[in-house]
Amino acid sequence: MKAKGFTRRNALKLLGAAAATPLTAPFLNLAHAQGATIPIGVALPMTGNAGAYGPDMGEAAKRTAERINKAGGILGGRKLELFIEDSESSASVAANLSQKFINVHRCQSLVGYWGTPEGMASRPIAIQNKVVLMVSSAANAITEGGSDGYVWRFQMKATDWGIVISRATEKLGFKSFGVMGLQNAFVLPIMRVFEERMTAGGRKVMDSLVYNPEQPSYRAEVERIFGKKPEAVYCFGLLPDFVSIIREVYRGGFDSKVVALSIMADAEGKFVQAVGPQVAEGIRHFQPMPDVSAPGYKRFLQLMGAPADRVLLFPPNTHDQIAMTALAMEKAKSPMAVDWSKQMIPVGNGPGEAVDDVLAGLEQLRSGKSINFQGAGSICDFTPNGDQLGRGMGQWIIKGGKQVFVEYARP
Amino acid sequence: MIEFIVLMGIVVCFSGILALALNFQWGLGGMVNFGLAGFYALGAYSCALLMLKGGFNTFFAALGAMVIVGAVCGLVAFVTLRVTEEDYFAIVTLGVGEMLRLVALNEDWLTKGALGLTGIPRPLGATIPPTSYPYFMLALSIALVIACLWALNRLSRSPFGRVVRAVREDDVVAATLGKNVLWARVRIFAIGGVLIGLAGSLHAFYYQYIDPTQFSTIVIAYAFMAVIAGGRGAHLGTVLGAAVVMLLLEGSRFAKELVPLEADQLAAVRIIIIGVGLILLLIYRPHGFLREYRLQATLKEERPEPQPNTPKEAAT
Repeated sequence: MKAKGFTRRNALKLLGAAAATPLTAPFLNLAHAQGATIPIGVALPMTGNAGAYGPDMGEAAKRTAERINKAGGILGGRKLELFIEDSESSASVAANLSQKFINVHRCQSLVGYWGTPEGMASRPIAIQNKVVLMVSSAANAITEGGSDGYVWRFQMKATDWGIVISRATEKLGFKSFGVMGLQNAFVLPIMRVFEERMTAGGRKVMDSLVYNPEQPSYRAEVERIFGKKPEAVYCFGLLPDFVSIIREVYRGGFDSKVVALSIMADAEGKFVQAVGPQVAEGIRHFQPMPDVSAPGYKRFLQLMGAPADRVLLFPPNTHDQIAMTALAMEKAKSPMAVDWSKQMIPVGNGPGEAVDDVLAGLEQLRSGKSINFQGAGSICDFTPNGDQLGRGMGQWIIKGGKQVFVEYARP
Repeated sequence: MIEFIVLMGIVVCFSGILALALNFQWGLGGMVNFGLAGFYALGAYSCALLMLKGGFNTFFAALGAMVIVGAVCGLVAFVTLRVTEEDYFAIVTLGVGEMLRLVALNEDWLTKGALGLTGIPRPLGATIPPTSYPYFMLALSIALVIACLWALNRLSRSPFGRVVRAVREDDVVAATLGKNVLWARVRIFAIGGVLIGLAGSLHAFYYQYIDPTQFSTIVIAYAFMAVIAGGRGAHLGTVLGAAVVMLLLEGSRFAKELVPLEADQLAAVRIIIIGVGLILLLIYRPHGFLREYRLQATLKEERPEPQPNTPKEAAT
């Protein structure tokens, strides 16, 4: 009876069955999620416009947790259990994920959250549920306006990027500037600080504009800024828009120096691959980075199995997020965020003995000593409202298709 | 777990209302709306801004958002369809939708641009304790979905509903019979807009934070999926379709916990699963779960005559 079709009754039956299927999955692991293990939610961009950064961060989280678990876990032998999910670089997906982490897996620690929208959307959820949220995003707004000690930034604040870049620019000696920035929550504070500092220092910002993401071409924007022939053009944005901007610049034959961020002009080598070494020649770029000479960072490279000269920008932060979760829980002797969120500053800032290894730190805490944890991505010092201190910025220049390191500076 | 199901239930409700709006405009009225994401953003931003800047309470803010989106939709339909054909209208909606999204992204003074609007109040948010709030919001959302379903069913069975379908099937015939096609289409699009405004308001209440990334084109894709999966023109089917789309999106996260793969591979596999699910649905259920109520009747008539010795089947 084909003509009978799909009746309402059948549709409802099917829907009911389908709805019931996913319900069974969490019950399979609910027993150990509540008892022996400490669940941690990890939301990372695996797909979408930031999809390039998620996989390495996930690997860092996994290896860090494994290392802690192999050494016997925390709180008297409880193991960390990670739930790594794809945030699809989207605010609403990240918000739904945070709800899943909190309500299904009973996580008290949410880590990852690369982009500003993901962090902003999850912020109210974390605060309402009294759960710690550790973000990797730069926009100032993430830690503004009272977070009751539940929101912590593992990245340099956007305005500090502007400060470091301005100071380095003063050394470079450019006299006139053009500025182009992507319409994005972390770019605008950088632009504002940079322009203010340049103008205050008697230098000339000839023109500045904000452009929209995902445009097929940026010819009009490039001609407006580069056409005024400033000595240097500062570009703040992401990889896809920068690639099309630089192509227009090359085609137009403009000779202003170009300065950018490393997520644009390096992006794990993707930029030079996309435009070729000739077009990329001479572009300078900045990015908050770990202190590569710090012992914590060197140990992290070993953990990741990466070569000793490799600069990993974001995965060390993810390592620090997992490590700080473990240390703060151990210090508070509690897996509940209401207790251990208060231990973030005592563990990260000290006072106590400086420790750059999470296992050594756990050992010290168990023996009742205070520690001052020095992470892989930064020294893990925080302000009371959750901003990270002491992360510095690297400067590189592209020569012959290679990234040549120039200097490391702190705000 | 139960809290998560409740929360996802709320998401199903407001995406269901959004899909109902599209179903009325496109499924029933034949007016393709490719600017859905932009109008949805307009609804959410109007509601949030009326509260944050206008000092309205949640009820009047949502009402205001419904009026604003309804009016804008009506205006777009009126201005466009006065001078052009239906086909070009789809392109105009695409343009208007993108325009609205760019306004939200760039007008910092009003919408705070890419940073988005934070601290959006919720209906009775101050009186209901946070632990029981999701249950209240689910009840409210279900009530609103039922109200929308009731209103749309009444509407599509009324004389106006017949005009809507007539305009979809053949606007020249409708015009020949003395129906004002332009006015009917303006009303169809405006009524859809009112529902989009309601869905946008619920979105703002639920997330309490809105930014332009939440209103990307994927929203349009999900709404079309819901309408197609549910059965074009069938209101209840559309809500079921929205539920199935959400089930595929969120349920696949649970399914993947049973598959031993790396996190980044799983992310890709999950999206493939969603795609395959929808393709299978369209192969085996090209008309969707349910039929439009008028078409259900024709379906029954088209059935082969029952054999005289099985009188019971004839009764079904």
